[in-house]
Amino acid sequence: MNTLYLDGQSLLHRLSTKPKLGGLAVFSVFLFAASHPLALGVSALVAALAYASTGIGWKPGLARLRPAFITIAAVTLFALLFQPPIEALVILFRLTALMLAAAAITATTSIGAFIDTITWAATPLERFGLVRAADIGLSVGLVIRFVPEVTLRYRSIRDAHQARGLKVRPVTLIVPLIIQTLKNADEIAAAIDARGIR
Amino acid sequence: MDIHFEEASVRYEARTALEPLTLRLTERRIGVIGLNGSGKTTFARLINGLVKPSSGKVVVNGFDTVKDAEAVRAEAGFIFQNPQNQIILPILKEDIALGLKRRKLSGAEIDAAVSAVLVRFGIPHLADRRTHELSGGELQLSAFASVLVTQPKILILDEPTNQLDLKNRNLVERTMAAMDENLIVISHDLALVEGFDKVLLFSGGKLVGDGNPSDVIAQYKKLAGA
Repeated sequence: MNTLYLDGQSLLHRLSTKPKLGGLAVFSVFLFAASHPLALGVSALVAALAYASTGIGWKPGLARLRPAFITIAAVTLFALLFQPPIEALVILFRLTALMLAAAAITATTSIGAFIDTITWAATPLERFGLVRAADIGLSVGLVIRFVPEVTLRYRSIRDAHQARGLKVRPVTLIVPLIIQTLKNADEIAAAIDARGIR
Repeated sequence: MDIHFEEASVRYEARTALEPLTLRLTERRIGVIGLNGSGKTTFARLINGLVKPSSGKVVVNGFDTVKDAEAVRAEAGFIFQNPQNQIILPILKEDIALGLKRRKLSGAEIDAAVSAVLVRFGIPHLADRRTHELSGGELQLSAFASVLVTQPKILILDEPTNQLDLKNRNLVERTMAAMDENLIVISHDLALVEGFDKVLLFSGGKLVGDGNPSDVIAQYKKLAGA
C-alpha cells in the first residue's frame, strides 16, 4: 500500500493538522466566492508555491496530479464551448488552485492525522446523535488511502495488458480495476471488523 | 480459552462451506490443517465472528459470535493470510494506533501502547516506515503487532508462513513460540503445528481429524496421498 504523504520538514509538515484543514476549508470557500480571474490566478500561484514547498519535486509532483489536471483541462475545454473565454479561465484557475492546495495538504498530512482531525471536527455532530464521529474520520481516511491504491492497480492492469501483448482499451482496463478495487475494499472492511476498529 | 461450536454450519447458497460442527476447544495451541477449500478458513473466521453461522452457534469465552460480536473481537484477534490485507493505514505506527482509537485512551496512552507492542516484536525501528516498504517477515510481525496491541486472549492466524522465505518463516515460528496468547493456527506448513497441543483436520467442509499432532498429520498425509 502506498501513501500520498511525503516525509519532510517543510512549514506545512510542521504545521498542526487542524489549522491546515481549517485553512484549506477557508481557502476553498474563497475560491468559490471570488470570480475575478486575477484573484483566482494569484490564488493558483500561491497554491502552486505551497505545493512546491512540500519538497515533492516537479516531476513526481506533476505526475501525481496528472489525472486531476486532465480532468480540469477537459472541464475547461467544455466550458470554452459554451461560455465566454474569461469564464473558462476562471474555472481553470479556481479548480487548479483547489487541486494544488489540497495536494499540498495531502502531501504533508498523514492519514492518521486526517482521521484524528476529521473525527475531532465531527464530534459536535455526534453529541446530537446525528453521526458517529469516528466513522466519518475513518471514511475520509480510507478515501485518501485508496487514491494511490487505485492508481497502482490501474498501472498493474495496464502492465498486464502490455506483457500479454494486448491492446490497452478503457473497457478492459476499467472492469478489472473496479472488480479489484471492490475486492480490496471488502478485504479492508474485513480487517476493520476483525480488528474491532469499528 | 474456551470455544464452543454448537451444530455450527456455514452455507453459501447451494454450497456448504462447513458442515454442522459440534466441538469444544480448550487447548492453548491448536493447529488446523487440510487441503485447499476444505473449510479451514471458514472455521477460523467463525471464531472471530467474521463469518456468521448459517445454523447453530459459536461461543468464545462465554460470548456468542453473533450477539456479542464486539466482545468476541476483543477476545479473539485474527491475522489474515496476506498481512497486506491486515494493515489498513500506510504508516505502521498509525496503523497500530488505529486499533486503539475506540478505547477512549489519551494520545500518550496510545503512543505508549504502540511503542510497547513494537518493542515486544522487536520492530520499534519500523514505527515510521511505510508498510509497502517492509519485507515479508517484517510485514507479518507488523500484522501481529497491529492485532495484539488490543491484547486479545486468543490469536487466530490464517497461514502465517504462507509466501515467506525460510528465514522469515523461522522468524515467525520463533515469534509464535514466544507468545503467551492462545493460538489457533491454520497452516499447510505441517512442521509449524507439529509441536502444538492439538491439531484439527478438515476435509470437504467436515472435521475429519481431531487429536494429537503426529496422528492427525499422518492422517492428513494419507488423505492427501503424500
